[in-house]
Amino acid sequence: MHVLRFAGWALCLGTALTSLTGSRPSAAASAQPLVFCADPAYMPYSDRSGDGFENRIAVVVGHALGRPVQFYWRSMRAKDEYGEFLVSTIQAKKCDVLVDVPYALQQVRTTRPYFISSYVFVYKKGRGLGVTSLDSPQLRQLKIGYEGETPVQMGLKQRTLIVGSKLFLTADDESASPQDMVVALESNKIDIGLTWDPAVGYFLKSHPDLVAAAIPNTRSQGYPEQFTFPMAMATRLGDKALNDDLNRVIATHSDELHAVLRNYNISFSFPASDSGS
Amino acid sequence: MKKSAIVMAAALGLAAFGATFGWHSLAGAQQKISLADMSADATQWVMPAGDYANLRHSALTDITVDNAKGLKIAWQMSTNATRGHEGQPLVVGDTMYFESAFPNHVFAVGLDDYKIKWEFTPTEDQFATSVACCDLVNRGVAYGDGMIIANALDGKIYALNAATGKIAWKANNADPELGQTVTSAPFVVAEKNRVIVGVSGGEYGVRGYVSAFNLQTGARVWRAYSMGPDSDTLMGPGFSGPHNAGISTWKGEQWKVGGGTTWGWYSYDPKLDLFYYGSGNPGTWDPSARPGDNKWSMTVFARHPGNGQAAWAFQMTPHDQWDYDGVNEMILADIKIHDQPVPALVHFDRNGFAFEIDRRNGKLMLAQKYDPSVNWASSYDVASGRPVADASMATREGKNTKGICPASIGAKDQQPASFDPQTGYFIVPTNHWCEDYQPFASKYKAGFPYVGATVKMYRGPGDYGGALIAWDPNTGKIVWSDHEHFPAWGGVATTDGGVAFYGTMDGYFKAVNTKTGALLFSQKMPSGIIANPIVFSHAGKEYVATMSGVGGWAGIGLAAGLTNPTAGLGAVGAAADLGKYTTLGGDLTVFSL
Repeated sequence: MHVLRFAGWALCLGTALTSLTGSRPSAAASAQPLVFCADPAYMPYSDRSGDGFENRIAVVVGHALGRPVQFYWRSMRAKDEYGEFLVSTIQAKKCDVLVDVPYALQQVRTTRPYFISSYVFVYKKGRGLGVTSLDSPQLRQLKIGYEGETPVQMGLKQRTLIVGSKLFLTADDESASPQDMVVALESNKIDIGLTWDPAVGYFLKSHPDLVAAAIPNTRSQGYPEQFTFPMAMATRLGDKALNDDLNRVIATHSDELHAVLRNYNISFSFPASDSGS
Repeated sequence: MKKSAIVMAAALGLAAFGATFGWHSLAGAQQKISLADMSADATQWVMPAGDYANLRHSALTDITVDNAKGLKIAWQMSTNATRGHEGQPLVVGDTMYFESAFPNHVFAVGLDDYKIKWEFTPTEDQFATSVACCDLVNRGVAYGDGMIIANALDGKIYALNAATGKIAWKANNADPELGQTVTSAPFVVAEKNRVIVGVSGGEYGVRGYVSAFNLQTGARVWRAYSMGPDSDTLMGPGFSGPHNAGISTWKGEQWKVGGGTTWGWYSYDPKLDLFYYGSGNPGTWDPSARPGDNKWSMTVFARHPGNGQAAWAFQMTPHDQWDYDGVNEMILADIKIHDQPVPALVHFDRNGFAFEIDRRNGKLMLAQKYDPSVNWASSYDVASGRPVADASMATREGKNTKGICPASIGAKDQQPASFDPQTGYFIVPTNHWCEDYQPFASKYKAGFPYVGATVKMYRGPGDYGGALIAWDPNTGKIVWSDHEHFPAWGGVATTDGGVAFYGTMDGYFKAVNTKTGALLFSQKMPSGIIANPIVFSHAGKEYVATMSGVGGWAGIGLAAGLTNPTAGLGAVGAAADLGKYTTLGGDLTVFSL
């Protein structure tokens, strides 16, 4: 059972709200639960079993604040639009916290960023592809797969590399997984895949023959292209007190937060300690 | 209705179409009634737009300004599909043919007993549904040489035996895995043995093209790209414009992902042997990343259907910054412009200007705003054919440009207008939305961050969402305007009974007096209307038919169940109350007196 991984914590399955309670300081038992907005089936981000990295980040945050952790489950992809997820979860006050959104996302109040990650090239080790940026000439000889409606799509388009490239739309389709690109690489349907590191890192753990290399930000086309994004937690726009609490957790528990990310094979760098505060 | 009278009526409005009846010397259609002849028979509706000229006009006269109030529902049928129904039925002989939104059911229904003669549903690549930009719409079937030609969303083209529904041939014009889909209706030029099909998918780096298939076999005959070298754009010695501008107006090799998709309507002038269509927006949304005019995006094309060679091209919105696709219908009418007779092509563009062009040579004769709120440009310089743009309405990095009119959905989208030869008016369904446009906002897509534009759309000045207008092409002025709460996203048909028919997104099918705009008849429908009415007669009785089934770009919020104002390319906010007026569901409704 997945539940056992939580070492004595009970998961109430089958309801929209799932509580994670258990061995906590006695004060926490009487504290107000903290409700996180989460997807019930979108690994590696989140899963009803609690196996997603967002679920584990939530546990760290709840523990740090001494508040029981609950999840409000709703698919991020159910209606093909993350904005709709926000409207029907945090903005509808079904839940109060998001733990993995781009810093400065407008519809919510983001915290200071707690990790910076990047879009990556994924390919088979030892093939000597030598691809280091979107401007690497080798890309013209390779069968490319890419995640649609992302900066890598725009970058490929600008360089006319997108013609004939295979489109993946993980974020639009509940039946799709970031693992699909890994499968396409292993079956040689594509030579190189371009995707978001936190989406694919977890699946690469069991594929030691594949490597991921960050796509560098560039101005090679004359205008800025951003492939690296600071990621943050978030509350409703008006929820400043809770946002302050989250910022304190980020300041004081960064080691625990980053341990979770490492455990999911996410490559990241640390934001400057004063950023966003 | 006697045929001679129909011919007279058609000739009255369209002198050039007298040539329609000289077809039989042309290849491919010997000993058959030509499709052009069939379209002149007002009892039928054999092409998506009614005729090659895209007039969407019927010579039938039984339903009049005086009796339209007595219209009743004659029969109805569900299409068994729920997404946006943007097309229209055909009537060929005693059978009605129509296609639903995705999953693209095609029906043949007998007009004597309303029995389903056959039904066809293609097996589709489901990935196509995630690639389609603006709801899973379809704009109808075409007819040619005993076959019904139906496009499926995943880019497959099916030629079906009109009597049995059996597949005669199958062809392919798009690959969803490369971001390509097909939503437009096929265009059959039967006299030239061609099926012309466009492509959708400008969001994914598609370089737009139009393909021609052999009507008999389905073999692809030619493909003409919207940009690239002359050899790709088929701009040979007979092309009147600058050569290789499909490369020289782009930075580097950006033309290879130049967009300019071709998902709108097509028209054809048999006398000039030219077909006409428009291309969509350039391929990269950030205008600062693609300096230049970006030809031939946003362009009216005139090509020969036999070999695809271009005769002329006119770019309406050079270096587009607002997503004003130029794909709306090209209506071919012989009219007076500034009191001079012109064999004209009239086009109501997304960018808010009506273009009146000499269709022989592409020369711009008149360009005027058909919605007074249009503000991205003040006017057009008719001699050079270029807009006089307002620099404050340009979109660029780091600037939230507010109050751009029209919004990206355009002062009119693909919903087709009609030309009424009796009044000389174009009856035009229009949108009236404006927008704030902010590039480079931080966004998120269920696990994938990116920096993209944020578009907020809202009703324009006067707080209405759209209007049905009458346009006088001679003066370039609006004659009358009937306001609607939502964009008027359904097409129009006019008749020699003096009546114009159209449907609205909030679910009313309406008849108005073509001369005055006065409402004659209104019927609340099962769902909102984004489809186009047709007019036909059967067993001596005049009928008007339309599909309902809301969706499309302006209705994508309802179609996809969205409530967030920034979803669906920004169209949801302004239509957020659509759910109070109507629900999803496709059906066909036929009216008669």
